[in-house]
Amino acid sequence: MLEVKNLHKSFGENEVLKGIDFSVKKGEVVAILGSSGSGKTTLLRCISFLERADSGTISLDGFEKDMTELTRREVRMLRMKMGFVFQEYNLFRNKTAFQNVTEGLRIAQKIPADKARETAVNVLKKVGMLERADYYPDELSGGQKQRVAIARAIALSPKVILFDEPTSALDPELTGEVLEVMKMLASEGTTMAVVTHEMGFARDVASRVVFMDGGKITDNRAPAEFFSSPESDAARRFLRRMTSDRGI
Amino acid sequence: MSERLLDILTSSFPKLLLACIKVTIPLTAIVFALSLILGFLLALVQILDIKVLKQLARVYIWIFRGTPLLVQLYIVFFGLPSIGITLDAFPAAIIAFSLNSAAYNAETIRSAIMSVPAGQLEAGYMVGLGYGQIMRRIVLPQAARVAFPTLSNSVISLTKDTSLVASITVVELFKTAQQIAAVYFEPFALYCEAALIYLLLNTLLTFLQSYLEKRLVWKYSAEKKRRKKKGALA
Ligand SMILES: Nc1ncnc2c1ncn2[C@@H]1O[C@H](COP(=O)(O)OP(=O)(O)O)[C@@H](O)[C@H]1O
Ligand SMILES: [Mg+2]
Repeated sequence: MLEVKNLHKSFGENEVLKGIDFSVKKGEVVAILGSSGSGKTTLLRCISFLERADSGTISLDGFEKDMTELTRREVRMLRMKMGFVFQEYNLFRNKTAFQNVTEGLRIAQKIPADKARETAVNVLKKVGMLERADYYPDELSGGQKQRVAIARAIALSPKVILFDEPTSALDPELTGEVLEVMKMLASEGTTMAVVTHEMGFARDVASRVVFMDGGKITDNRAPAEFFSSPESDAARRFLRRMTSDRGI
Repeated sequence: MSERLLDILTSSFPKLLLACIKVTIPLTAIVFALSLILGFLLALVQILDIKVLKQLARVYIWIFRGTPLLVQLYIVFFGLPSIGITLDAFPAAIIAFSLNSAAYNAETIRSAIMSVPAGQLEAGYMVGLGYGQIMRRIVLPQAARVAFPTLSNSVISLTKDTSLVASITVVELFKTAQQIAAVYFEPFALYCEAALIYLLLNTLLTFLQSYLEKRLVWKYSAEKKRRKKKGALA
């Protein structure tokens, strides 16, 4: 479904991604773990072309090309096949929850108003936000905003949805409602790549865990194996820290 | 107050008001419209990072913010004829004021656009929108809300600054007051009366500003609308 190969990215002198091979198969939920600064966000941002990769190839839904040679049109075409859920939600502040969802449908996909409305109602219902459809983001809690952001992403029926720490900006008591929605998507077979620090989610929901350390992928295996016997020292240290911090 | 003074004030009031309506207000409105357009373009070439144009915009802003408005007015009206460009007083006033005001508006608009978080643009890209669409539908509406109070302020300044054009023979509100004051030797009363009319005009503008701020849903809250019509998607 989605695959990047030999992805390199530097910010000035700082090499942040050192040759990443990463893939998500259809219906898979890949949890991306790793300490802060290991390059997880940069990986997702390169895949979605919010950062320009220095080298690497991408293949998505049958289209394959060198990431540095994509035209603007190809970038846009590839982005239409992806959803992105940001840590900071990034809902359009001047649009209601409903308009946030319909914006891409109406303007990018040029779907007629009544069809777009129908889709918006469905996805908002799905994330439990239909009653708040005409609230502006400023009038919603963090958990509600993130659920609307997820609705906005799934409304466009992307092939894969990228999540960058979707619950990290939330108060602890609000992470549950967002994780529930993500679990539901996973159970429906939605293809997802999720950067997260929620070990419970990685263990119980993910079909595979990818662990990053210093710009490289050092572990890539099923959650049960990863949590019982991580391959790299870095992952072992990371897990020890996580379990002692969070009492898992 | 003497009866004579009262007579002078009451008979001059309509004249001053007429000058305000016929000259001061149109001048302000035209200048504001032109300076908004030019200011927007100057901001845009900087935001879009268009090579040569961007540098030209910076130089333009540097010059027009760094020199006095009255001097600019004199250059356009009294100076340009010596190099063969002779303008009537009113067009000269419009040109000088618009050029000056645009430099300030450009900075207001540019910083308003830059105040919209990059995440808004990125989210737009990820729902499949193009740069132009995101600008028009997401970024500029938010920037307008940020710029609105500052731009309102600049209109209010502008109404007062137009009194400077009295010095290049445009007979607007203040010039009319000068002429009447000279006839009756009552500068104190007449200039106070002129000040009062400026104050009235700006009081109206201030009301208009707060009305617009409330009306244009710019609080990003649908609270009121919801209370009116219950039910989300009715
Ligand atoms: N826009 C940027 N400019 C410069 N350095 C950056 C930028 N974004 C990220 N970095 C650097 O790249 C490294 C990886 O960051 P990031 O991908 O955000 O890690 P993670 O998401 O795993 O915490 C960090 O050292 C960070 O400082
Ligand atoms: Mg990150």
